[in-house]
Amino acid sequence: MRSALKTLYEVTGVLGGIFMVLLLVFVLYSVGPGVGLWIEQTFGLPNPTPYVARSADEFAGYAMLASAFLALASTFGRGEHIRVTLFVQRLQGTPRRLAEIWCLALGSLLTGYLAWFSVRLCWQSYEINDLSTGLVATPLWMPQVGMAVGAVVLCIAVVEQLVVVATGGPLMEEPSGEEAAHLER
Amino acid sequence: MGSIDAQIALLAICALFFLFGTGIWIGMSMIGVSIAVMWLFAPAKPAGDAMATVVFSDLSSWTLTALPLFIWMGEVLFRTAISEEMFRGLAPWMQRLPGRLVHTNIIGCTIFAAVSGSSAATCATIGKMTVPELRRRGYPDAIAIGSLSGAGTLGLLIPPSLIMIVYGVQAEVSIAKLFAAGIIPGVLLAGLMMSYVAGWSLLNPSKIPPADPAMPLTEKLRESSSLIPVVLLILLVLGSIYAGVATATESAAFGVLGSFAIAFWQRRLTLRNFWDSVMGATRLTSMILLILAGASFLKLAMGFTGLPRHLAETIAAMGLTPGMLILVLAVLYIILGCFLDGISMIVLTAAIVLPMIEQAGIDKIWFGIFITIVVEMAQITPPVGFNLFVLQGMTGKSIFWIGKVSLPFFLSMVLCLLLLYFFPGLVSFLPDMMVNAAR
Repeated sequence: MRSALKTLYEVTGVLGGIFMVLLLVFVLYSVGPGVGLWIEQTFGLPNPTPYVARSADEFAGYAMLASAFLALASTFGRGEHIRVTLFVQRLQGTPRRLAEIWCLALGSLLTGYLAWFSVRLCWQSYEINDLSTGLVATPLWMPQVGMAVGAVVLCIAVVEQLVVVATGGPLMEEPSGEEAAHLER
Repeated sequence: MGSIDAQIALLAICALFFLFGTGIWIGMSMIGVSIAVMWLFAPAKPAGDAMATVVFSDLSSWTLTALPLFIWMGEVLFRTAISEEMFRGLAPWMQRLPGRLVHTNIIGCTIFAAVSGSSAATCATIGKMTVPELRRRGYPDAIAIGSLSGAGTLGLLIPPSLIMIVYGVQAEVSIAKLFAAGIIPGVLLAGLMMSYVAGWSLLNPSKIPPADPAMPLTEKLRESSSLIPVVLLILLVLGSIYAGVATATESAAFGVLGSFAIAFWQRRLTLRNFWDSVMGATRLTSMILLILAGASFLKLAMGFTGLPRHLAETIAAMGLTPGMLILVLAVLYIILGCFLDGISMIVLTAAIVLPMIEQAGIDKIWFGIFITIVVEMAQITPPVGFNLFVLQGMTGKSIFWIGKVSLPFFLSMVLCLLLLYFFPGLVSFLPDMMVNAAR
């Protein structure tokens, strides 16, 4: 069971990575015509990219949203979501465990709320066939699926962690200083 | 707007800090408090549906896509040999300055800041090389680590800058203009930090180790040729924005390609490095976007309370001058910065502070630079500051010791803020020159 869930977080994390690459592809596709025009005007060469990048900017935004949401659970699993641990860290033994249970219990409720309404949004968009207003009228449920799936998997991850900590299992790990280099600001 | 409502809204803010303090994840805390606020102030509105809609539209915005791309670029560069190359290229020129190689920290960070959007990443990338090299030569830890911790924060002020992207999206100002506005203050701050190092070294000549053997000019130049890839990347990223050819997002995409080119040139572009950079960037983006999701909902909920407008009017009625308002906000942000990270600080306060700023007639670009420098200060004030965490991992020193040796650089930032306040032209000069900034 636990390893199946781990696999789920890893798989959605990798999907998030793939959407990150797609984000770059969409942005590059959308700059193409501009760069082509610039080459034409600056060097007098024929425009190498004479297409119209229809709605590529919109797709880039959707890819970012899907990427971030799908990676929520694997980010959570590595303890990389930001929280203030200043006071919690001072606690030891049972009080520390109780504090973690408080965080994870409330976290489960809040991520559950996020997941519920993300799924609802996606479902409603599908029901009424809501379309985006861009040049390519995208059915909005498509990008919203990424958001819904990511939020649901995050909620599963938080609940799983709650069960682990409440039944006496190990507490969440904190990222070390070396890893903090990547929590860049 | 009754005062009872205002009191309830202030109570909500207290609840938020309670949740933060007990260790609830920042983004989730904001969602929790927003639910309560919506339930109290707009019971007829479907809070959850409103949340999902606003999160979906805010977090799929084209402007914001610059954020993951610049993060990704930093992740790629972190995995290249850029740190070694910069040290090799800079060291020969620093031997004559008072303070010698300590300046490789500051100039290294200044240059790297022009391709990196973050303070901790700048600190980590430059420090990877300078910390062991300076230690090997016998430079005192206090000045070597303090200067790195301080100068690393230039990653935020010198464009590109993740903080400016987040602020720009919140405040609805041009990110290209914010980037341009950061250049002069960034160089000024680097100059102030270098002056401090030089002054300290002149007062403590015995503590600075002797210079390395002198190098002929041709050899110095040959060593410096290792800086060429970085300089080209800076020209590509900042040049394309400043020339008005590209938006921040587009230049970030060029930057990702450029950093791949550098990695390829240095034979570091393995499949493993590529995928690690993708996943590193994805998780970091995910972490930031969860906070932004909470912030979007909080902004919506706060709108129903009328608190932002109420506070803006109160401030106006109090007759605070812009200078006093700035002073009050600076103190508030420095205190917040002891406990919160920069992005959370900005998105948390944006809904309330931005209306005040507009009411007081303060330029939003100037305020963006101000808030960036204040966030830089927060990076190096214990107990919570990301540069402190990075350097703790790198050097094994305690957070409070690193905070102490960073103090002179903190004071350079205070001095820089004063200069920017009295000479606002330092901020507005470059953005005003950009007639045709892309979006």
